[in-house]
Amino acid sequence: MSEVALSADEAPPERLHPLMLVSGLGGSLRGVAGGYAGIGYLAATGRLDTALILGALLLVGAVVSLLVYWRRFTFRVGTDELRIDSGLISRTHRSIPFDRVQDVDITQGPLQRLLGLASVTFDTGASGGSKEEGALNGIALARAHALRDHVRARRGAEPATTAALEEQARPLFAMGLKRVLTAGVFNFSLAIFAGLFGLTQTMGDVIGFDPFERRFWIDLLANAGPLTGFVQDHRFGAAFAGLALLILLGLATGIARTLARDFRFRLDRTGTGLRRRRGLLTLTDVTLPLRRVQAALILTGPVRERFGWRELKLQSLAQDQGGSGDHQVAPLARDEELQPILAELGWRFPEGPLQPVSKAYVWTFCLLLLPVLPIALVQAAVLPPLGAFTLAALGLLVIARWLGWRRTAYALGDEQLLVRGGWWRRRTLLLPLRNVQSVDLAENFIDRRFGIVGIRIGLAGGSGFSAHSIPALPREKASQVRAALLSRFL
Amino acid sequence: MTAEPQSEDFQQVERGYVQVIRVRTLLSWLPLVIGALILDRAALDGWTVQGALPIAIALFALISTAAAPPRIWQRLRYRLHPALLQVLRGWLFHTDTIVPFVRVQHIDVTRGPWDKLFGTATLVVHTAGTHNSIVTLPGLSPERAGEIRELIRGHIRSDLE
Repeated sequence: MSEVALSADEAPPERLHPLMLVSGLGGSLRGVAGGYAGIGYLAATGRLDTALILGALLLVGAVVSLLVYWRRFTFRVGTDELRIDSGLISRTHRSIPFDRVQDVDITQGPLQRLLGLASVTFDTGASGGSKEEGALNGIALARAHALRDHVRARRGAEPATTAALEEQARPLFAMGLKRVLTAGVFNFSLAIFAGLFGLTQTMGDVIGFDPFERRFWIDLLANAGPLTGFVQDHRFGAAFAGLALLILLGLATGIARTLARDFRFRLDRTGTGLRRRRGLLTLTDVTLPLRRVQAALILTGPVRERFGWRELKLQSLAQDQGGSGDHQVAPLARDEELQPILAELGWRFPEGPLQPVSKAYVWTFCLLLLPVLPIALVQAAVLPPLGAFTLAALGLLVIARWLGWRRTAYALGDEQLLVRGGWWRRRTLLLPLRNVQSVDLAENFIDRRFGIVGIRIGLAGGSGFSAHSIPALPREKASQVRAALLSRFL
Repeated sequence: MTAEPQSEDFQQVERGYVQVIRVRTLLSWLPLVIGALILDRAALDGWTVQGALPIAIALFALISTAAAPPRIWQRLRYRLHPALLQVLRGWLFHTDTIVPFVRVQHIDVTRGPWDKLFGTATLVVHTAGTHNSIVTLPGLSPERAGEIRELIRGHIRSDLE
């Protein structure tokens, strides 16, 4: 920006773009979802005027609070830091030193795209939760790009402007429409039913029906006499049609969600990192600095693997949008398409064959399930169908564990550790040894009888739920592996 | 490494820590005992087995308060390598944690009311990251905790890179 160093205090205060009042309204109206339930309830119980007054109040409240937010929100861009002053009663003065900013994420919602606005998030690599406060929700797109250029220039050693960056960028991976649709098929989801269920449970009284109650269907069928007869005549056909509908809905949900998120997915190699752009209605533009990447995760499933598809995620210090932690850099790709991306990281797969883990991995699990067996037997004596169901479930669990054991293996190289595991959710972890933060050996009272130990590896970043571990190694082997993992610290 | 390291290298924590665990175990059982008493009075009134449930739970609480803490204390050992901190802990569930000093982001020495009463302190070591990022070493004497803190502090680097 300016030649002379400018402290954030001296910099002119800026406001969010006034049009943000339009694009932000959707968000603040979503924020009062509880209010709509109230309106719906009032309307359904016949107090229409009260409902209208409440609705008007909510709308006015949303507009006023947005106006106050806009009025009291200023930011100043200094040479070295960004200062954000916000809040009506409790003022927050946040300063973000550009040295600490990993990158600037630019997001454009559908309304923002129409108005030429963008939301900018400054990713400092701090653990999540406080992201909202490091964000500028709604500034002109040009200003957003200028801000990003400024931060990049501040960090030096790479081309400063977006234009220069575009020139130097090298495409690594992109997904056409067909690929996105294929990915959608694999994202088969019945979440819509969970959503419907939740909705009818909370709003069922208001909307006057609940499709998860028997009475709903009985009433419905009573009104459709000929249809009832038809359904009862073709019971199998009806069941089949229902199943088909279920599958179709699941597919449609998956495809719609994937299309919205991954449309025009493209990944580029830029000066210091990977740049990912994607989205149908909401465009996102995220850069992931390579040296911040802690580990790579290759995910697949039994069906996807059969077709040769894999998903690549990178665990980084910064969190990906949507709170999933790991950055998705290739949602659906062939092995040979993943190679160039992994090559950019400069990591190699450890050589030599994969080492299996101890079969006690299965036995300890069986022992843990043992207390359930008498319950199942009692059930089988009292209520045979339930008992059979429990027994079958137990058997399936053991089989799943066994299949998981067959796939669980690891390989330890000089620089990298590779851990493969899981049968249904097949994940392969590639982890440079220099990123190891801590190592645990863990065993419980059952493991001890079998002489096996699990290794848990502490890594920076990630979602916190995805522990990286090698299960069930003989104790001596585990000690060796740990020594190798920590050798660079000794 | 063996299951029960008897090696000289491993150090045990203060004996007073047994009492700290004891008090904590007792306190953690308290709500359950009270809950059982209330349940007994309210729901099982007039049953022949009235009184059995709270007595059983109280007995269980007493036994575990008597038996578990010395064993937990026995298993809790630590070792300072030149550049690593190793902590062994757990009675039924053993964990053996190693943290390289250079990975430590910051260190706390905390003392709760029970720690103060029995003359112990807890060393809390934070590494970067969300999983497995906090390693605690309880039951140290405050002086020892301070010593270890100073030792590790010399190794901490200001940034992760």
